[in-house]
Amino acid sequence: MGSFIARRLLSALFVLFSLTFITFMVGHLAPGDPILILMGPHQDPTTYARLRHEYGLDKPLWAQYLSYIWGLLHGDLGLSYRYEGRSVWDLIKSGVPVSFRVGGLGLVLGLMIGIPLGVIAAIKHNSVVDRSIVFLTLAFYAVPSFVLIPIAWEIIRFMNSAGLPTLPVAGWGTWQHYVLPVVILAAANIGYITRLTRNSMLEVLTQDYVRTARSKGLPRRLVIWRHAFRNAMLPLVTVIGPSVAFLITGAFVVENLLNVPGIAFLTVQSIQQRDYAVIQGTTILLGVAVVIMNLLTDMAYMILDPRIRVS
Amino acid sequence: MHRRKFLGLSLKTSALLALAACGKSSTATPTTGISITGPTATPNPSQPPSSPSPSPTTVPSASPTVSVVSTPIATQVSGAATPSVLGVLRWANTGISEPSSIDPANPKDAQSILIINLVFSGLVKLNEKLEVVPDAAESWKVSKDGTVYTFKLRTGLKYADGSECTAEDFAYAINRALTPTTQSFAAPFQLQDILGAKDVASGKAKEAKGVRVIDKQTLEITLERPIAYFLDLMTFPYSFAAPRKLVESGKDWTNKAFGTGPFRIKEWKHNQSMTLEPNPYYWQGKPQINIQMPFIQNSETAYQLYQTGQLDITGGGQDGIPAQEIPNVKGKPDYKEVPALAVRYIGFNNKLKPFDDVHVRRAFAFATDRNTLAEKVLGGTVHATDRILPQGIPGSDLPVKGLEYDPDKAKQELKLAGIDPSSINVTLAYGQEGDNERVVEALQSMWQTNLGVKVNLQPMELGTFSKNLDVTRENPTKGLQFYLSIWGADYPDPQNFLSQQLQTESPNNNGHWSNKKFDELTEKADIMSASSQFKERLRLYNQAEQIAINEVGWLPLYNPLVTALIRPSVKGLVLTGQGIMAPDWSKVTV
Repeated sequence: MGSFIARRLLSALFVLFSLTFITFMVGHLAPGDPILILMGPHQDPTTYARLRHEYGLDKPLWAQYLSYIWGLLHGDLGLSYRYEGRSVWDLIKSGVPVSFRVGGLGLVLGLMIGIPLGVIAAIKHNSVVDRSIVFLTLAFYAVPSFVLIPIAWEIIRFMNSAGLPTLPVAGWGTWQHYVLPVVILAAANIGYITRLTRNSMLEVLTQDYVRTARSKGLPRRLVIWRHAFRNAMLPLVTVIGPSVAFLITGAFVVENLLNVPGIAFLTVQSIQQRDYAVIQGTTILLGVAVVIMNLLTDMAYMILDPRIRVS
Repeated sequence: MHRRKFLGLSLKTSALLALAACGKSSTATPTTGISITGPTATPNPSQPPSSPSPSPTTVPSASPTVSVVSTPIATQVSGAATPSVLGVLRWANTGISEPSSIDPANPKDAQSILIINLVFSGLVKLNEKLEVVPDAAESWKVSKDGTVYTFKLRTGLKYADGSECTAEDFAYAINRALTPTTQSFAAPFQLQDILGAKDVASGKAKEAKGVRVIDKQTLEITLERPIAYFLDLMTFPYSFAAPRKLVESGKDWTNKAFGTGPFRIKEWKHNQSMTLEPNPYYWQGKPQINIQMPFIQNSETAYQLYQTGQLDITGGGQDGIPAQEIPNVKGKPDYKEVPALAVRYIGFNNKLKPFDDVHVRRAFAFATDRNTLAEKVLGGTVHATDRILPQGIPGSDLPVKGLEYDPDKAKQELKLAGIDPSSINVTLAYGQEGDNERVVEALQSMWQTNLGVKVNLQPMELGTFSKNLDVTRENPTKGLQFYLSIWGADYPDPQNFLSQQLQTESPNNNGHWSNKKFDELTEKADIMSASSQFKERLRLYNQAEQIAINEVGWLPLYNPLVTALIRPSVKGLVLTGQGIMAPDWSKVTV
């Protein structure tokens, strides 16, 4: 297992390096100049040249890239062009816990509802219950959050005008503000997790060892939860790992429409502004998170499934 | 002169920064800087238009502020016995997740400028009619040649911490904004006309020669050349006073910023909101409210928060009320709209056939049904106009006669041109953004139906469109035939629309329209700096505008709208094309 991890770490390093390179080049080669954007339509050439120099944008791209990597190796993500005097890390660090908490709760809620629903659907295979569950969860999964949110808003506004207790439609600060984003995020997760659990359970339930367990007279409940369910969870692990990584960068639509001050909130604006340093910062953050979570997923897999360890 | 790209929406400086900032929603609401006092919210103290003072040089404070000016500051501070619990005005700052920088020397978007205008103040400001009125300076004099401005500061002017603010502070502010280490993106341009400003901006000097402190209360600013809109430039944040001690206290000094404006920052929760509390020493009197200002990325979100009672104000800036919600609120008492200080127009290449002929241009103008365009095609989300100056720019209250929709006249004009309509085959270029597609299709059908000509449409990516305008300017025979464009005010002055856009030699005159009389009138008006000449100056611009309309220098179509929702219980605020303003912050209540 040691050499396996070492190999994975090495390749992770390569992935991250490529990531910085591609992000850097795509960012800098895309049309749009952060200095021009910040100067507005008044392109006073002297000021423009001076600012480009001060931000190091007049150097050749490779030199800019090298100095960026140099900073990165020293844990310096650089300075934002737009937010005066604030480092990228300073901007990112307040958003990470917010995105993580909202996304994490959304995932946990999704698991708490999705797994039981999936198991029930599998057990009641092809019944009305199964079909209703599949239909509903598929609907949740298929409807994007930018459609779910306005629907939720309409409901809240209706309740509001009817004088019923309601939730805030957007914002941040109190526990009530968590409800809407978490539920919206959970909705998509529920759809996905339910279907995955159901399919995986169905497959496992036809396996010989399940039949054996049943035929030796074990109670149904025990067969399902101890024998089938455990093995059916394996594919879920693969899914949850990377999902956790994406929690950190947040859910773009949800954070922007519901005004949740997470990472996505910041990223969208940075892209519009060509705030290269921040875009790179958030991309690398995501890259690191994905690499780490994939590694952890692989390790979890090995622990859960001895067959993988052998191969 | 600078060369400007006016693509999407150009706007006034502040706005323009913002605009630039907002890659996304270019069309709907141009950020245009400045504009109009709308027939909106609070009744302004109804004053007659500021009359020129009898003495040629002294500027009497224009209209509504006069009474305030004469009130000694002392009484106001002592009179600040306020109710112990202040009302809270919940005001959405929309289109951002966090203001870029509220350092007045270096704001980068309109949302930051909104805050800067609440916390800091300059020598002069714009009133709700977008006229320049006294702020920290109670009066000023302009030399005969229009190059020396002498500002007299208010006695007892104080920062929100009670410390004194003197002429020295304003000199420091200007020099600091220009200094390279401040890294201001726009100050070197905005303040470039001050004598010696360029030396400071290039690092050759520490202080601009043209900025002189005469005594504690007197600041003299000398310009390189007379520019009649100089005071308009001084209403922008770049010259606003900020306490030196605070500024030099560290990079994050803006977190607790205060100045000589009506409010000071109480708390700034980054990426979330800001709380502003009254400045007890504000010269106009201590405000009676606190402001709670959440930063809201999406204007639809802000709208929903307003509708569920979580906000008192939303809109008023470049991200106004979402267009799809306007039908739901139009006509309600809390919905306000005013035309923005921007015009969408058709420009003609006067060096190419057939638009080198004034009769052809007039034919197209008469064949354009702007009301149908504004009301039917764009569903009332814009304000139809047949003149160049947007409503609200000084001088826009002087009447002009537009070329109103008249298909018969249109055909007559084509006859006068002696051109067979069926031989006209022209191509209209436009940038692909917002509603442009719908606009050009409607125009195409109007012109084809009313004139019997053939009109082709040529969509272009915005950057390409901008480049083509440059080509049209540099090399007209290779340029566009005619095009749909937009211009937004940099500052609320007719010069910005007429002289800068249509004078023969102006670098912004992409269509090469040229009229001798127009040039004479505008060149004369451009240097009339003395306030006593203001009316005459506007009259000259008015004559010039009429010429440009008759000869179709531009074919104006419509002004975008600035929209806002303001709870009717909030008193004392006015929506202008420049955003939401209070004639007197001490009288604003919730």
